[in-house]
Amino acid sequence: MASEIETGSKYIPEMSQSEIEELGNSIKAASIKVMEQNIKRMKKTWPNRPEAMEYFDEISNFFGRREKEVREQKEAGKKLIGYSCMFAPIEFILAAGAIPVRVGSGWYDAAKLGDRIMPVEVCPVIRSTVGAKMVNLSPYLELSDAIITPLTCDGRTKLSEILSDFKPIWYMTPPRVKDNPQSLSLWKEEMQVIRGKIEELTGTKITKNRLRSAIEVMQKATKAFRRLQDLRKGPPVITGRDAMLVNQTSLWDDIERWTQKTNELCEELEKRVEQKDWAFPPDTSRVMVTGTPMLWPDSWKVPNLIEESNPAGVLVVDEQCSGDRILYDPVGVDEWTMSDMFDAVSERYLMASTCPCFTSEHGNEDRVNWLMDRIKEYKVDGVIYYVVRGCILYAMEYARIKRILDRMGLPVYYLDTDYTREDVGQMKTRIEAFLEMLEARIDI
Amino acid sequence: MLETIAEILRATIAVGLVTAGILAILICVRNLTRKMSILRLFVQIIASIGIFVILLFWPLPWNPILSGLIFSIALRLTIVFALIVVSTLVFGRFFCGWLCPFVLYMDLLTRLRKALKIPHWNLPEKLNNGLDVLRYVILASFLALALIFGLLNADVWRYVIMFMGPFKSLIIVFLSPIEPLIEQTGRALGFEVWGASFHDLRGTINYFNGPNLILITWIVFFAFTAGSFMVRMLWCRFCPVGATLSILNRFSPFKWAPILHIDKVEEKCTKCGICKRVCPVQVTEVYEEKGGNVTAPKCIHCFRCVEMCPYEGCLNIKMAGKTIYKSKNWLKEEEE
Repeated sequence: MASEIETGSKYIPEMSQSEIEELGNSIKAASIKVMEQNIKRMKKTWPNRPEAMEYFDEISNFFGRREKEVREQKEAGKKLIGYSCMFAPIEFILAAGAIPVRVGSGWYDAAKLGDRIMPVEVCPVIRSTVGAKMVNLSPYLELSDAIITPLTCDGRTKLSEILSDFKPIWYMTPPRVKDNPQSLSLWKEEMQVIRGKIEELTGTKITKNRLRSAIEVMQKATKAFRRLQDLRKGPPVITGRDAMLVNQTSLWDDIERWTQKTNELCEELEKRVEQKDWAFPPDTSRVMVTGTPMLWPDSWKVPNLIEESNPAGVLVVDEQCSGDRILYDPVGVDEWTMSDMFDAVSERYLMASTCPCFTSEHGNEDRVNWLMDRIKEYKVDGVIYYVVRGCILYAMEYARIKRILDRMGLPVYYLDTDYTREDVGQMKTRIEAFLEMLEARIDI
Repeated sequence: MLETIAEILRATIAVGLVTAGILAILICVRNLTRKMSILRLFVQIIASIGIFVILLFWPLPWNPILSGLIFSIALRLTIVFALIVVSTLVFGRFFCGWLCPFVLYMDLLTRLRKALKIPHWNLPEKLNNGLDVLRYVILASFLALALIFGLLNADVWRYVIMFMGPFKSLIIVFLSPIEPLIEQTGRALGFEVWGASFHDLRGTINYFNGPNLILITWIVFFAFTAGSFMVRMLWCRFCPVGATLSILNRFSPFKWAPILHIDKVEEKCTKCGICKRVCPVQVTEVYEEKGGNVTAPKCIHCFRCVEMCPYEGCLNIKMAGKTIYKSKNWLKEEEE
């Protein structure tokens, strides 16, 4: 019935081509400016940034080198498979010879466009992605041949519905309770279906050898990723923003090249550790952020403020799917048989995840445990609980986390914001107050 | 006939040992991640060689009459029970994973299967738990049989045997399904082979089956070879010796007792499930339990889970409260 009445897209209103182009170009221009500015600010905070960071600066540009490469590879016949959430099996995409890329959006201006069809209560990550789609802003979203959308939170569920007008959407339903046998079997079936779809799209069969080499590529990436994260355990040898940038470029960069470049960066940083050449004075307050993903480029707002405020704090670790969680967990294969590799990949994406969409009889305990471990490992002085308006799952878990952190005697600050630049002044005051308090605590 | 069988057996053992050696070297060269596995393999090979040497060539001084003269029955019983209690409390099932030759045999089968890239079969969890109960049933029936036949035989020594029964494995060695073969063939070859386990049970089987024993043993042996090829450590899942080694640790007052156990740090665990998947006897406790001592009575102490856990210091092997080995970022060592 609906299909007879409806013509065109389900959600996105009709817009004239000229309007799309005009809006798209202006947002794109603004975005390029923001990206440049962010890098400039990062350089200002850390004047002797390692040379290896230049590569990541280059790759971080959405409309630069990497876009061109992806276009070329697509013309050469490669497929681009987007994913909206870290539950998508990257190993399968790689094994099928396709390019994986995450399509979540961090554009503030695009979120305003998204407001035209999404209520403002909706998480701005979703609104922004919708907005980006409206004006064809994101090159990766535009170029992708299909999008894997794990239905983790409500926002992503409807996002996939909206995007389905433009792209083939492959749904994945992660169970909300991860540690019972029926969840795992459901998830494995979902994985099997996705694998079939990837094979169908690319026309490449995911064979034992191909999957094995894909897993090994990702394991190497994880190794480099962990190497960088481990460096942040000591005195701040890298600023939090730089580390975040490196982490996030892995979402759209060629993963093998990324691994190599990250290792180069780590080598440089390891030398600096020996020379005791720190990015911040070693007594700087060590801050952890947790909560909603902070996506490049516009969501650099809060990290910028933290590391530029006076007194400054250094982001040593985060517990976000835009940071520490991207690559931290390896795929652990016991036997290199197809079935075991498949199980290993499936389990890594479901069970190792500490997404707030999960619950269990003990609540989302894995996340709590993981947070506590990070806090101890990275000697965190204070936690900033970053939530954008509409990110309900993270917002709801705050009460529990707060209680636990209170008991640990660790200051935690609930920072709620939106995809807007208007509250920068207010944010600055709030963050400075928090950091001053941390500083005072350290002095005592 | 017996000589032929003995020759086959010896050849099997020789081939097995050589294969194990080659495999060990291969693994050593190719994959240094599995350091724990390599160490375990070496210990197993050495232990197995030792055990076969003892069984086939050692003229054991153990003689019921002699020992009967030296020790009183009460003292002997006390010693036996003390041994049982101490070893279960102190070592748990360490013997299973590291010394038992039949585990080595099954390990080699598993390695062969891995090399051939044939996927293994997992037993359903319920069946696996059922087998874990079965081992106690087997143990109980062995003890009952020993008691009955011990009583029928007026020899006092039988009482001691009866109580020692399956626990003897701690003092000597239990070779599980292949053990009667060795004794029989050894005798045929003129060695004074000392029967290692379930003395009275074998007496029973001999009593009923007589000459068919060897045939039955071969059938059982091949059945378990095939079974263990597809299902990892099939025998261990209901081995009654395992029960004797862990029976005390089943009860909570003694759970903490073994000085050697696996300890889990709850905070470092994301429940990624690797420990559960790699466990050759499908122990789920390491995954399910929150933290602290997670050693299960089913666990054969192969420590594969500790080796494969990707989180630094999440799973630890503790010996007398001291951490002797812990899980680490194994990616780091893959290439070094």
